[in-house]
Amino acid sequence: MIHASAWMDPSRKTQETQLRVLLVDSDPDRAAAVEAGLTATGCTVVAIAAGTKELTRHVRDSGAEVIVCGLDDPSRDELESMSALHRDEPRPVVLFAEKAEPEQIEAALAAGVSAYVVEGMAPQRVRPVIEVAIRRFRAHQALREELAEARQGLEERKLVDRAKAVLMQRHRLSEPEAYRKLRRMAMDRGLKVVAVAASILGSQDA
Amino acid sequence: MPLDTEAPSRPTLRRPVLRTLRIGFVPLTDAAPLLVAQELGLFDSVGLRVALSAESSWAALRDKLAFGALDAAHLLGPMAIALAAGLAGVKAQVVVAAGLGANGNTVTLSNSLAEELGRFTPPLSAAAFGALVRRRAQAGRRPLTIAVVFPYSSHNYLLRHWLAAGGLDPDRDLRLTVVPPPMVAQRLAEGVIDGFCAGEPWGSQAAALGVGRIALSTGDIWPNHPEKVLAFAADYVARDPDSATAGTAAVIAAARWLEEPANLAEAAAILRRRAFPRLERGVIAAAFEGMAEGLPLAAPLSFRNATLPRREQAAWFLRQMRRWGHLPAGISDSAALAPWRQDIWRAAATRLREPEPPAPPPPPADRLEHA
Repeated sequence: MIHASAWMDPSRKTQETQLRVLLVDSDPDRAAAVEAGLTATGCTVVAIAAGTKELTRHVRDSGAEVIVCGLDDPSRDELESMSALHRDEPRPVVLFAEKAEPEQIEAALAAGVSAYVVEGMAPQRVRPVIEVAIRRFRAHQALREELAEARQGLEERKLVDRAKAVLMQRHRLSEPEAYRKLRRMAMDRGLKVVAVAASILGSQDA
Repeated sequence: MPLDTEAPSRPTLRRPVLRTLRIGFVPLTDAAPLLVAQELGLFDSVGLRVALSAESSWAALRDKLAFGALDAAHLLGPMAIALAAGLAGVKAQVVVAAGLGANGNTVTLSNSLAEELGRFTPPLSAAAFGALVRRRAQAGRRPLTIAVVFPYSSHNYLLRHWLAAGGLDPDRDLRLTVVPPPMVAQRLAEGVIDGFCAGEPWGSQAAALGVGRIALSTGDIWPNHPEKVLAFAADYVARDPDSATAGTAAVIAAARWLEEPANLAEAAAILRRRAFPRLERGVIAAAFEGMAEGLPLAAPLSFRNATLPRREQAAWFLRQMRRWGHLPAGISDSAALAPWRQDIWRAAATRLREPEPPAPPPPPADRLEHA
């Protein structure tokens, strides 16, 4: 039974490429069943990590594109630490649970989890869910990067504004004159305007 | 006339059907206020039906709280900040209604590392540990691996603070990793990790098994630091503020009971029955008695004085999260600390006539410079 149909387009054709999946499950019977389900729909299960001592190395060596993990698996904290503590490239994690209410799955997706698979789901539905998970994850990452860039742009503008103020005061210039001077200094030195602004502010502090 | 109470004309006598308050916890000694409240019937006495569930990881507990599979939880303080900021992809609003304890974690080192340090009396100084790490690096030996229990944890930030005070860069001079608390003693014995910072009883258990030595407690780094919190899902509080207040009152009452020395033996027995059936009773009792390997701790695990949630204390953890680059820019302090609220605690304390606890000592400086 799948509860994720609200956000999934069932008409979408699955791609023929093999998805590399790392399965994390400390219950060997369930791991075997989930592996069979994944393989049947064209995923390659590159490794099964069950209570492994060096999980993080295992994840890195596997080259997996996506991790499929039980919601209640004891390895989850270790998996989460990879991007937080070791600055590993974050990977989408698809959680599966033995049971969950539809509204909980809705809430999980709203909170930002890429996908939520409920055990007993028909095998042919597993792969689309994982693909959606990867798409959602990538969209989320792209959004984060855009935000970070936008923030950096704002920071740079603040620097330039402060440098302009310094030049206006130092040389008794109008604002457009200060900006032209800043731009000329940048051109003369082959630097970005923001780099010149930073150096002006640096010499000011010194 | 007993039939009267059944008559439809007197609906006010009918008790409302109570929904069960679902609270999750991770099996650790500082979950005691929750387990004690249930075992002593304190939840019943405030009119609550409570289902306590032991969770296998902090991530699972967090997800269930965020997705509505739990109404409340025994939570790491920095996890409430992480949830407010949407770190690790999960964003949810929770309400920190009470503190569940202060102190109570140990830094435990492998026997061979303790031997390398030479004779020391706990608490081990950051300077001595820093010197050892540098000696090892100069000799070309592998960096040490130290486990914490979760990236966004008081353990991680207090340990990092202590390492930095010893002149170390925790991201460069050592390997910090995550191991679930019930596995730390085994990983230490196997040599997978060289030490760990985890909540009790796991330091005492490692010492009892003879696989490690307790070097210090986190109370030696920040005396009486806030540890776990009782966090409710924000929509639960909005929907049923009375139950949130009642649950908080039961937890404060349990903390009060735990403060009585006469009750500590029973507390250890409750924890053993409910959370650690395979551990020796003495291993569980050590934290309640304020002891580590038979020596008294300067700042032991305590409950009653830690129940009032204090935003200014949580702010220290927020600053550490910024210090180590764990929080993206653009998250304001007020948004990150919004979960800490005192109104529920005050309503619950009034009901119990519980006075406001004395103000705790301030947190350590944000950065301790290496001498």
